[in-house]
Amino acid sequence: MAAWRMLEDCRVVGLWGRDKSRALDVAARYGVKAYESYSDLLGDRDVEVVDICTPTYTHRKLAVEAMEAGKHVLVEKPMALSLMEADEMISASRRAGVKLMVAHVLRFFPEYMKAKDLLDRGEVGEIAVIRAWRGGPAPEWSPWFMDLGKSGGVTVDLAIHDVDFAVWVNGGMPSEVYAKVANLKHRSHDIHDYALIMLKFPTGSIAFIEANWALPNTYPFTMRLEVDGTKGMIHLDNQSPTPLKLWTGSSVEGFSPETLPWKPGVHPFPIDPFYREIRHFIECVKEDRKPITDGTEARKSLEVCLAAVRSSSEGRPVHLGG
Amino acid sequence: MAGSIKLGFLGVAHFHADSYVQAAKKLPNVEVAGVYERSHDLSSQFSGKFGVKQYVSPEALLRDVDAVVIASENVLHHEYVLQVAEAGKHILCEKPMAVSLEQADEIVRVVEKAGVKFQMCYVMRYHTVSVLVKELLKEGRIGRLLAMAGTNKLNRALPLLRAWFTDRRQSGGGAVMDHTVHLSDLMRWYSGAEVVEVYTMIGRNVNPGIDVEDNFLTTVRMGNDVLGSIDGSWTYAAGHYTWGDVTMELVGSDGVLYMDAFRQNVYYTGEDKLSWHYYGCDPDLLMVEDFIRCIRDDGKPRAGVYDGRQGVAVTLAGYESSRLGRPVKPG
Repeated sequence: MAAWRMLEDCRVVGLWGRDKSRALDVAARYGVKAYESYSDLLGDRDVEVVDICTPTYTHRKLAVEAMEAGKHVLVEKPMALSLMEADEMISASRRAGVKLMVAHVLRFFPEYMKAKDLLDRGEVGEIAVIRAWRGGPAPEWSPWFMDLGKSGGVTVDLAIHDVDFAVWVNGGMPSEVYAKVANLKHRSHDIHDYALIMLKFPTGSIAFIEANWALPNTYPFTMRLEVDGTKGMIHLDNQSPTPLKLWTGSSVEGFSPETLPWKPGVHPFPIDPFYREIRHFIECVKEDRKPITDGTEARKSLEVCLAAVRSSSEGRPVHLGG
Repeated sequence: MAGSIKLGFLGVAHFHADSYVQAAKKLPNVEVAGVYERSHDLSSQFSGKFGVKQYVSPEALLRDVDAVVIASENVLHHEYVLQVAEAGKHILCEKPMAVSLEQADEIVRVVEKAGVKFQMCYVMRYHTVSVLVKELLKEGRIGRLLAMAGTNKLNRALPLLRAWFTDRRQSGGGAVMDHTVHLSDLMRWYSGAEVVEVYTMIGRNVNPGIDVEDNFLTTVRMGNDVLGSIDGSWTYAAGHYTWGDVTMELVGSDGVLYMDAFRQNVYYTGEDKLSWHYYGCDPDLLMVEDFIRCIRDDGKPRAGVYDGRQGVAVTLAGYESSRLGRPVKPG
């Protein structure tokens, strides 16, 4: 919401949520309309674009209905829980002639954009090995995350960020996926909280992706990336360059100007990654361009993550593509 | 054992020999008797640099020593170990112990029969920080161990400094052969279980000019279902600020440990160069010291001949899994 309100050429008309009292709360806080039902929202001719931030298992239905009502859709990642759902969403967007973008916000984080820029400029040469690490406490605050059937677990929900990055910088899908996916610490839930994923790309480059929800509640959300190539290597760690940290009895919080929400008058220009993401989406809608993570592109990382889960349950590598 | 222990060096082609000889010279009651190295140039260089006597044959060296450090090219370990064990001398052996499982099994048999001390250069079992990890695990500080993900990466410039590292006939292989064992051994040590499943992916080289693999990723499963991951790639860029690293993240039921064992460096920036100056513990010294203690007190090495054999088994399972495209149980 905060990011949407930074866009000068957009107006937030209203919102609908499954939890009515929460929806009313948020609507009141931002001074927008709260619709009685989703179909009321879709029936409002003032609404041109729908941003779907609901739990993953509801994405397909809500996105398809929105697109069938002629709305452009920005949907939270992961786009869906199966390829069949993803395909339905992609074809709905084609049929209706509307934009579908999946909010893979990592591509709008300044450090990952810089890494991609260095790779594109050839500073690293040909990529040989990618190591990516992403972890924090399990999102137990929202029960649906802890239900494999609703969130897809740590592989489909969290590792997908780095899988998407690996697919992006390697220029396409891996040919082989091998993974160990487990429930290490949350035995009372049907969930995966730990994933070790290895990918091999047609170029011969390999990638290791670890996603971890089996961390103590005090662990700050951390992401690290290393890319080793024929000419050099790059490395980033979102914790080490954090210019401002706040320690309290139960948590450590970090603040960076690059990831803080933009405050007019405080920062010279909007740099929040969520702002950049929706800015991109709106530009694509207005200029009829293809979003960087449209349905087809986002389907790739979903396919890889689903293959990783399958590799783990079958105990063997999974081969993709022809 | 009264008096000094006479220590010989049999093969010094591995860089680590330089560090081991310096460690040995710091220890009381150890006398470095000399070196046999088949390369005449390397032998003279080593002898000159460290002031140790050169021998013309392994036999001549073995006559004068109580114990031997084997830091030759990997493929010679087997032959040298057998020769030393049969002469009844104690052995400190560079990793990997051997380049085939047949060799490794024969080493186990011969060493056990000879009744000599055999210690593997699994230096991470002696490094103060990785030992502390073992103790914290034992104290239950992270609860039950569930998963371990480690790196033992190397600056890509280093393997090029000695040609044999990248000559398969001398090394038995590249990064997989060189850098699987430190982490697979720590994983066995920490989890108290054997590796039962290995899957390795080898990527295209960062250095296309060498004919061994310079990178890999391995996933392992331990007998008690603890998961593990090993990245032992020789892919840190030549300009990286250190030689490489040994890191491990250990996830437990009640917490997480993160080890970065060689992080204790002061970084220097001058007019035209960057350099790093390590101020952490000297694990090579601790390891050689413990070897001498085992000989003197009839102790049991922390990393013995069977640990060496298991490292070879995991390494070879890595190669085999990569070749076959499916996970492999180490032999």
